[in-house]
Amino acid sequence: MALCLTLLAAGAACRKSSPSGAPPDAAPEAPARATLQQLKGPVSVKRAAADDWTVAREGMALLENDTVRTGTSASALLRFPNGSSVLVGEDALIGIAETRGAPGRDRTDLTVRRGTVDATLDRPATQDLSVGTPSATVRAGREIVFQ
Amino acid sequence: MSPLALVLVLLGTAPADEAVVQPGETLADVARRMLGSSEAASELRAINHLDSDRVSPGTHLLLPGPERNRAVSAIASAKSAVRQAKAGAARTEASERLADAERSLAAARYGEAAAQADGAWKLVSQRPDDPSRFAVQVGDDGATRVRVDSGVPVRVEAEGRTRAVSPGESVLVRRGEAPGVPTPEGAAVATAALEAPVLLSPAADVRLALDPKGKGVGPLRLAWRPVSGARGYLVELKGTASQTVRTARAEVSLPAMPTGAYRWSVRAIGLEGALGPASERALELSTSTIRLDVQEPSWK
Repeated sequence: MALCLTLLAAGAACRKSSPSGAPPDAAPEAPARATLQQLKGPVSVKRAAADDWTVAREGMALLENDTVRTGTSASALLRFPNGSSVLVGEDALIGIAETRGAPGRDRTDLTVRRGTVDATLDRPATQDLSVGTPSATVRAGREIVFQ
Repeated sequence: MSPLALVLVLLGTAPADEAVVQPGETLADVARRMLGSSEAASELRAINHLDSDRVSPGTHLLLPGPERNRAVSAIASAKSAVRQAKAGAARTEASERLADAERSLAAARYGEAAAQADGAWKLVSQRPDDPSRFAVQVGDDGATRVRVDSGVPVRVEAEGRTRAVSPGESVLVRRGEAPGVPTPEGAAVATAALEAPVLLSPAADVRLALDPKGKGVGPLRLAWRPVSGARGYLVELKGTASQTVRTARAEVSLPAMPTGAYRWSVRAIGLEGALGPASERALELSTSTIRLDVQEPSWK
């Protein structure tokens, strides 16, 4: 029995330490960059170190360099820790706080590679959000309140 | 006075949206008389597609429509707001937009001027407490369109250039290019393409026999169907003599022209001064035969 428990514990540890095999809804060790909510239709997530896409789940924490993909007629709401939110529309492909941005560009909270996102900052005086795309960087909120 | 000037003087009374150049007047004088400022001469030059400020007495000039008042009012409001704003990046950027608006006004691009002035006003009148809502759309070619719905302006950066996009505006950024000038949503409707006028009379390739008038014949009446969205028309005659006439109506009457062969064309002038495509016809002017019908007096 003790041997069985030891083997089970070792197996669990192996799964947890495996970068590509980590379940997408497992408690992440790194701080969450955003949370997935209000999922509708086919939405999938690819972890930074994973090779495969997995089905997204309500409340799933998204980490740095994770990617989210929505299918036809699908949508998902990304809630950021500062309270700002982004509604990802259908047929979109986005990255979370990617460190591999375009050369010479600052890191952004979100990268939109394809599709449309609708962003909301309820308190722009205290919140900020930066969105990168293949051709531009969009900044909103606290950083650009000039006065 | 040249025959051409004489012809123009005889064109008749100008309608409300036209002005006739008086003897001794310059374009600046007309601008002061009709628009309240000699600085508006550049607007008259743009609207009437003139190459210089020299205008002959009797020339009919198109005047701006009500869209000018809106642009002037928007610029005045923005100027006041910018003056009262605290120094900082917002006021600097608003001042730049205000300068753009004044340049657009001088070029008679009134819609653009009003939008730029509104943008300047919003930059210094923003309320950071309002929720900020904006959309980012990325196409298959990587081009990005940013539309701001509400709240404070959003900054769009690309290729070392930053643009502030205010609520109600959108901007397009193509790959490898700097952001364009933010435009009001739905602005494309105002700049819809003008159609070529449908010429009504005289018929194509017609020979007209007109009564002798001075050194020529006349009157020659040209007419065409009104073009949707046109604020006026540019009429050009080329041939034995050349003449350019601007009119707000879909017809023009030339009191006297030398006899000979001509080509006449009409182009619509849009609200922002843009010219539409031309429609052209040929005609020939000749003197009508004077018929003398002398009868024997009854008293003889």
